[in-house]
Amino acid sequence: MSSAAEARFRLASPASCARVVAVVALDPACDDVLARLAEKSWGGVRFFPASAAAERAVLDEVAAGDLVVMVASAGADASAAGLIGRACSDRRVHTATFVIRAASVSDEVLSNTLSQVRPWSLMVVIASEDDYVEDILRSFR
Amino acid sequence: MLRKEQNDLLTQTGPGTPLGRLFRSYWIPALLTEELPENDCPPVRVKLLSERLIAFRDTKGRLGLMDEFCAHRGISLWFGRNEECGLRCPYHGWKYDVTGECVDIPSEPEDSRFARKVKLTSYPLVERGGVLWTYMGPAGKQPALPEWEFATVPPAQSYMSKRLQECNWLQAMEGGIDSSHVSFLHRGDINSDPLFKGARGNQYNLGDLRPVFEVVESPGGLYIGARRNAERGNYYWRITQWVMPSFTMIAPRGGHSVHGHFWIPIDDENCWTWNFDYHPTRPLTDAEVAAMRAGKGIHAKIIPGTFRPVANKDNDYLMDREAQRAGRTYSGIEGFAMQDQSLQESMGPIVDRTKETLVPTDSGIIMARQRLLRAARALVEQDIVPPGVDPVHQRVRSASVVLPPDQPYKDGAREALIAHPGVAPATV
Repeated sequence: MSSAAEARFRLASPASCARVVAVVALDPACDDVLARLAEKSWGGVRFFPASAAAERAVLDEVAAGDLVVMVASAGADASAAGLIGRACSDRRVHTATFVIRAASVSDEVLSNTLSQVRPWSLMVVIASEDDYVEDILRSFR
Repeated sequence: MLRKEQNDLLTQTGPGTPLGRLFRSYWIPALLTEELPENDCPPVRVKLLSERLIAFRDTKGRLGLMDEFCAHRGISLWFGRNEECGLRCPYHGWKYDVTGECVDIPSEPEDSRFARKVKLTSYPLVERGGVLWTYMGPAGKQPALPEWEFATVPPAQSYMSKRLQECNWLQAMEGGIDSSHVSFLHRGDINSDPLFKGARGNQYNLGDLRPVFEVVESPGGLYIGARRNAERGNYYWRITQWVMPSFTMIAPRGGHSVHGHFWIPIDDENCWTWNFDYHPTRPLTDAEVAAMRAGKGIHAKIIPGTFRPVANKDNDYLMDREAQRAGRTYSGIEGFAMQDQSLQESMGPIVDRTKETLVPTDSGIIMARQRLLRAARALVEQDIVPPGVDPVHQRVRSASVVLPPDQPYKDGAREALIAHPGVAPATV
């Protein structure tokens, strides 16, 4: 049976509605990535640059969210993951962390960042290109 | 989810398509060696990447893979006579050698040069590790021969099977990347299948149903680490290897053999699921080989004379509701292979990814799709050789390890993720 024939009587109505996603930069180096993403069209996704004020805003956002995505640069201070992650854990909100690793970053430096984000992330992706952040966000919609 | 055009791009592998061109950058498994067991044996029809081909072994043992149809009147050469270093069409006697060159047209005058103007498209076919491999890309870009470890160990250490899977290659392969389903779908078999049972790691699998995933780019594709709780605060890691375009290697269990798959498109709505099992340092035991032949582990029982599984969609995969109710199997289907295949085929011939609802534990699947899309774009637009073509990218292993909580698995299992000949696998 062809794909079209098989799909002919499948229900067309959506089976899920859009999730509320908060995307937060864990260090200033990731602010540019989020700023670029924020310029695009998103529904139900909010972006928070790395700053104390943004951390507070994220904490407010978490209660109503379905997913918090943290973005970190390998080698940068990612200690904000603890604050955000604890809030997510308390409220049973899923967390995913994206670590952008430049080619020059050593394994040891990467490990330092990982040790900060791991306890608070239910999913970690380590990639060389920040374009993947958009791809993953689009896939979750 | 994907946009429709992305789903189309990733699922279409026929001639002229971007993913078709990507697949045509690699050596891919075409047949089991046993399908062409001896010189002048019957030819075998092969459909790969939406191309209908015929494979044969000539009088001198040379292997050929070429257009299935005679240039004269379009007869299938499956009816051909494999004799005297060529495959002869039974209709009017046109004869082709293993390169597809027409070497004889009986109706032409004795010294006619017309036969030299007739040539069927052909592809190289080479034997390695019990598999006949082909490369279907441009002749000038043929890569070095495959170096997968299962194909380079002594024959007694390796076993290979294949089965027909009636769905697109990508949804089948994505099952190989998604190790979060193991604790559910396969939980009834982990401790009973002879090729899996008894490993300490099985208890970690069954005891922690919410693994944490780490996806890391590798030179040839991705490392997909699934982390579960072990004793004393340590973590049990199962690290799957995905190498582009469609090789996956499952993390080993205890002293069992190591296994994995290739998913090779037949056309856009069918694929071959290739299943390899090997041990890097010892021959497989008679009991192991017997279990593999009986369809245990990642292998399946096959209808004799075909590669179609005995449990298939025409018989509802021999669904056993009582086994499902009693917990002997989680889905009611017997065996790892058909548990996976039944669900993947139920998605439809080509799953509509515009309708899926992915979650963060699907990040390995998402990353794999994006790497494929990037590689196809780079190949088509800039002629960049994709990851996985270099034999170095193929010398990999999966691993299962227990590590301290602060150690990245890529560090802790660094050497375990490389195929070092004669070195035992890292396994729990």
